[in-house]
Amino acid sequence: MTRRVVITGVGAVTPLGVGAPILYERWEAGCSGIDERFGRCSDYEPADHLTTKEIRRADRYTQLAVVAAREAVGDAGWDGGSPYDPERVGSIIGTGIGGLSSIADQRTLIRDRGSESVSPLAVPNMMANAAAGVIAMDHVLKGECYAVLSACASGAHAIGAAKRSIEYGSLDACVTGGSEAAIHPYGVTILGQMGATSTTGLSCPFDARREGFVIGEGAGILVLEEEEAARARGADILGRLAGYGATGDAYHVTVPEPTGSGAAAAITLALAEAEIAPADVDYVNAHGTSTPLNDRSETAAIKLALGDHAMAVPTSSLKSAIGHLVGAAGAVEAVATLLALREGMAPPTINYEEPEEGLDLDYVPNVSKPLRSEANGGGRIGVTNSFGFGGHNAVLCLRAAAANGGERA
Amino acid sequence: MITGVGAVTPLGLGAEQMHRRWVDGVSGIEDGFGRCGEFEPADHLTLKAVRRTDRFTQLAIVAAREALTQAGWEDSSFASNRVGCVIGTGVGGLGTLEAQHDVMLDRGAERVSPLAVPMMMSNAAAGVVAMEHELRGPCWAVASACASGADAIGQALRMIRVGSADACVAGGSEAGVTPLFVAAFTKLGALSPSGIPRPFDARRDGYVMAEGAGIVVLEEEQAARERGAQVLGRVTGYGATADAHHLTAPDPTGGGAARAMGLAMRDAGIGPEDIDYVNAHGTGTPLNDRAETAAIKLALGDSAARVPISSLKSAIGHPLGASGAIEAIATLLALRDGIAPPTLNHDTAEDGLDLDYVPAVAKPLSRAGDDGRRPIGISNAFGFGGHNAVLCIEPA
Repeated sequence: MTRRVVITGVGAVTPLGVGAPILYERWEAGCSGIDERFGRCSDYEPADHLTTKEIRRADRYTQLAVVAAREAVGDAGWDGGSPYDPERVGSIIGTGIGGLSSIADQRTLIRDRGSESVSPLAVPNMMANAAAGVIAMDHVLKGECYAVLSACASGAHAIGAAKRSIEYGSLDACVTGGSEAAIHPYGVTILGQMGATSTTGLSCPFDARREGFVIGEGAGILVLEEEEAARARGADILGRLAGYGATGDAYHVTVPEPTGSGAAAAITLALAEAEIAPADVDYVNAHGTSTPLNDRSETAAIKLALGDHAMAVPTSSLKSAIGHLVGAAGAVEAVATLLALREGMAPPTINYEEPEEGLDLDYVPNVSKPLRSEANGGGRIGVTNSFGFGGHNAVLCLRAAAANGGERA
Repeated sequence: MITGVGAVTPLGLGAEQMHRRWVDGVSGIEDGFGRCGEFEPADHLTLKAVRRTDRFTQLAIVAAREALTQAGWEDSSFASNRVGCVIGTGVGGLGTLEAQHDVMLDRGAERVSPLAVPMMMSNAAAGVVAMEHELRGPCWAVASACASGADAIGQALRMIRVGSADACVAGGSEAGVTPLFVAAFTKLGALSPSGIPRPFDARRDGYVMAEGAGIVVLEEEQAARERGAQVLGRVTGYGATADAHHLTAPDPTGGGAARAMGLAMRDAGIGPEDIDYVNAHGTGTPLNDRAETAAIKLALGDSAARVPISSLKSAIGHPLGASGAIEAIATLLALRDGIAPPTLNHDTAEDGLDLDYVPAVAKPLSRAGDDGRRPIGISNAFGFGGHNAVLCIEPA
């Protein structure tokens, strides 16, 4: 009997605010969280959520993850602690670069004041597995625990890895997602020097004027549970994580494969695992970075994977509203996709004005639009794409619980 | 099935070299660090490749080539989209991050290399190895501090078992002997002031920081047999747990680590009585070696006193995110030869640390060859953050 995986809780801290519902509501309304060329989590005030000790002992990327995880765990109804044997609950969190600010600041410190001046907390603050470890501690999760890194696909890969562990049977539930906080002068410099970031601060995915991504920060966390166990405990099931596909381009370290074949293969694998035909996809949440190369190769990939249906399915990019959250993007976008499917709306690709030849899908320009009606009592089906430097492709296929509450997810 | 192994370590280039020198009691530590002194990037990589990769990626590339050569892969061995690549690292291209940070501070942001991101990112080794060998299956990096390499191999095992790939190139790589990391671990009190790793010894005073890479080629059993691969052994079990106790201190009872060992044995379908050798995490820190001894006793029960237990870190230091992978390879070769390599620098017993740590001199695995059965070993890896990953290994 195949073990299936359901989503019972979501949490997010993003440039659109603190909380998953506010992320969806503001995106759906066409708000932008980008200010002065960056997507900062300006509504996030550490002291509102964490003790002074917790703040001092965690890099910003870990803080964002901890706050999003608390929301997700609360949303899942785990307020009194996980309803499972702690040894059967995992913590798998993706990140692109972990505690970059801690690394850069501590490096400055030892340059200026000698190696003795380094903080005793430097190692736990900078390590890329800190968020996974701290969340495990916060909720006493004693199952599998690690970080996944695949650049901009990290969050999606982490969620996929959690799905695999539940299916395999080594976990009954997992707190999973991604987190990133790299808007530090050094992070901005290294990303800028590679020529991938926007010089204008305009995030306009699929638009002819696009010229790079806007750096964002944030975290997205999901609570995944094995379906039978979730039903047995009477959990409110938000949807199903129906499919996961991961491939490598093996093409170039920073350039996507232009035909989109690796990305398309990941979409196809995710749909096959979910046993869903391309024509049944109601919504595509694009990776849509607003870089010249990604948006072109991703459009090609969607056409390759979905065939004729590609022209019909609404495809939008959250990055138009919050920028690119790097290793958190895949997880925040999974959260946003699930909420969009539940509400039956495709939120918009904002800042879309000038079409480009060949980029001719329905990118849901500027104004959200309703998704087509639920088919046969099942919940709506969406695909969320994540592609990372290094040629990493990770695609998740989500199915929302049906609105009528009958045949759920 | 393991069909290829490769390693670059302070004991030299190549997995066999590491194995032989460790068995002979050679130390790869010099001036308080375990550097890969015999690794000269230009001997293996073009100038362009050297310039475009961090040292942690370079070490992984060379170890992966060795492993793939041994596996005897030809172009048609596997469909490229059915081969994964999962490589663990603790901190990725930290050397590049630090060097480019200096460039920014000293010479300005516009002088920072456009290659800084692709070089420093922790997934670079996985991406570059996948590119070199055209592996188009699932590809990512795992970070769980000092358990990264073992978790990466465990995930590769799962990937093949669930059918997401027919084969996977997996392991770990680290080149973290950098000014910031050395300063930070020193401040934490984890590094050995004496510069001598003494796992399980009463005089142990911390670990010696090292670098290196270990890569294995795993193949689905049927596929490996069909192509007539020479099988070196098998990864038969993987167990991973979290302490959820403290970010930098292990749970002193060893409970989380013991559970990981128990899970790995159960995954392999064996019990404590079947274990012939334990490759310890054995860092040489006061806390780890005590907690790990407790964990081994918890997990193996009566068998703990019987089983030879040794630490490769006594000979090469602690290559952090690479250690779990390098040690899995060392475990396989030790089992193959029916020998427990020694824990070097061990001569002063400590109360309570009373297992057979194979002090100073290698010894035969006593039960090897009994009933014609092959010896079975487990390799432990535990990381800051409370990560425990254990692999169960059998030679062919």
